[in-house]
Amino acid sequence: METTLQNLVLGFSTVFTPANVFYSLVGCLIGTMVGVLPGVGPLAGISMLLPTTFGLDTTSAIILLAGIYYGAMYGGSTTSILMRIPGEAASVMTCIDGYAMARKGRAGPALAIAAIGSYIAGTLSVVGLMFLAPPLARFALGFGPPEYFTLLVCGLVVLSYMTGGSIVKNLAMIVLGLAVGMIGIDQMSGYFRFSYGIVALGDGVGIVPVAVGLFGISEILATAGSPEVREVLKPKLRDLLPSSEELKASVGPIGRGTVLGFLIGIIPGSAHIISTFVAYAMERRISRHPERFGQGAIEGVAGPEAANNAASEGALVPLLALGVPTGPVPAVLLAALMVHGITPGPLFIKEQPVVFWGLIASMYIGNMVLLLLNLPLVSLFVNLLRIPYRILYPTILLFCVVGVYAVNSSMVDVAIMSVMGMLGYLLRKMDFETAPMVLGVVLAPIIEFSFRQALAMSGGAYAIFIQRPIAAAFLVIALAMILLALKPLIVKKRDWREKLTEAEK
Amino acid sequence: MHGEGFPVQAVDIRKEGSDDMTIDRLSGAFLVLVGLFVAWERRVLPLGTTSHPGPGYAPLLLAILLVLFGVILFSRGKHGQLLRSVRWPEATHALAILGCCLFVTAMMETIGYRLTMLIVLGFLFGVMERIRWWLTLVLTVGLALGSFWLFDSLLRVPLPRGEWGF
Repeated sequence: METTLQNLVLGFSTVFTPANVFYSLVGCLIGTMVGVLPGVGPLAGISMLLPTTFGLDTTSAIILLAGIYYGAMYGGSTTSILMRIPGEAASVMTCIDGYAMARKGRAGPALAIAAIGSYIAGTLSVVGLMFLAPPLARFALGFGPPEYFTLLVCGLVVLSYMTGGSIVKNLAMIVLGLAVGMIGIDQMSGYFRFSYGIVALGDGVGIVPVAVGLFGISEILATAGSPEVREVLKPKLRDLLPSSEELKASVGPIGRGTVLGFLIGIIPGSAHIISTFVAYAMERRISRHPERFGQGAIEGVAGPEAANNAASEGALVPLLALGVPTGPVPAVLLAALMVHGITPGPLFIKEQPVVFWGLIASMYIGNMVLLLLNLPLVSLFVNLLRIPYRILYPTILLFCVVGVYAVNSSMVDVAIMSVMGMLGYLLRKMDFETAPMVLGVVLAPIIEFSFRQALAMSGGAYAIFIQRPIAAAFLVIALAMILLALKPLIVKKRDWREKLTEAEK
Repeated sequence: MHGEGFPVQAVDIRKEGSDDMTIDRLSGAFLVLVGLFVAWERRVLPLGTTSHPGPGYAPLLLAILLVLFGVILFSRGKHGQLLRSVRWPEATHALAILGCCLFVTAMMETIGYRLTMLIVLGFLFGVMERIRWWLTLVLTVGLALGSFWLFDSLLRVPLPRGEWGF
């Protein structure tokens, strides 16, 4: 406990420079804009803006990127409440009661509760991250290649189960991602694989062009040219403060949403999306007046918003402690950290305490900045929503090109982005989820390396994966997930995954 | 009556016979092809042994998995969504944007970032979206030159200048 507090003081002393506070502020502001604009999710946002951090020192860059991340998670709620359009998928549930409140002239309190809930959940989750990540990292130091391989396999299977939709399609996307991740120089033998003489492919296919292509470009391709019908409800700023009844009614949902969101956030998959669904369902179930839900119940805003932000920070636990991203956004964060020379994993916290604790401290500051900044600036964000998409998408395209090109100053990356954009567009039409593919690309080198090392250790015996208890436990979890996914084939009843997939559409 | 009824029936039979491709079946076939392609391209890479897997070992396993998932998807895809029910209302825009991406890929290092973006943005704003000419001009010039100034000059992220220094 004492060490943790000492480290936190170290973190605050790192962050509390005028420059870093400024970067935190800028990150939160840009992140909120990214979250507000439909079609620019946190993933494309972070990827596009990654080059802006190249000139900064590592700590400042991470602070800026983290600000964009949780700013984007918060920003999505504004469009949900004012337009009934989720800025990003995790804000779907906020649309229901948030928009209903806005229609009744209570947009201000809905936005305020979303901000307060996000702030409390974000701050408490950082406490969880602070206490959970270091012991988890120490535990993972005992992992050998078989444990790492099975952990990654387990993570990918859980992701494909949690993402919703067909598990066969999700698993196929993971395998396709892993196959794309095989491109480049084999790190154990030095062989060029699938690079067809293109030297730039020697380093492999980068995560940024893949993520921007699959998410940013494919979104533009799928939505450009569609008719725009936008009705933005403008809140009255003097009515921003919620009433004492509304505040009282929100306390419980915020608390429950925080715990639930943080725990779900640690699990691979669309954690922040799932957490909002679970939080909403739980609030409605335990409410004495469930009929109010859908008609503008403040609990329907407070719970999911708290869960969303808590899950975003819960997802950082496995990323920072194990080096394992649990979803596409943490995967891009991982890539961003690696661009700045940081490799998250069990040794990260021990070897780079300044960066880790600086990041933790920046989250406290970032959450405060979000609360102080976003409510007064709500009019600015409302005006941003009035920009027609036909003006917005060429601008997004420009940022995608710059963002991807700048990582390696390589036109091959721009070409990969274009190909991935087209692939992502077609995959969406064919009802595939692209998130598992991104994770496959990111994890391919680690998963292959640990797989081959494990086989070398055992002299070629596959039994090593079931003889070691931790590795066997991960495989059992993965198997359980596959069996759960196959359950609907036997029992003809819609499970929560089908409902989630339907709601996301 | 016969004269009217027969052709209708024939049309129905043709629809059932040829147009029942589902998106799952098409996707399954695509995955099988990708799997076979990976397996074929892998042949130049040493497979190694189980105790010392070579650079071709993991790609071969992945190719097998791709084929397996493709076969499952194809065989179970009979009752999936029909391919002809997929709507492509945005196809014209999508093709134009993809064309822009390819143009950027091919030309940006030759003619430079600013000129490439002036052409691409001018095309998208002016031709595809038919925005008023003065607004197209302002947006195109402002975004192309403004983004160059922001990234290249201010943030020191080098962007291509092309053969003419533009």
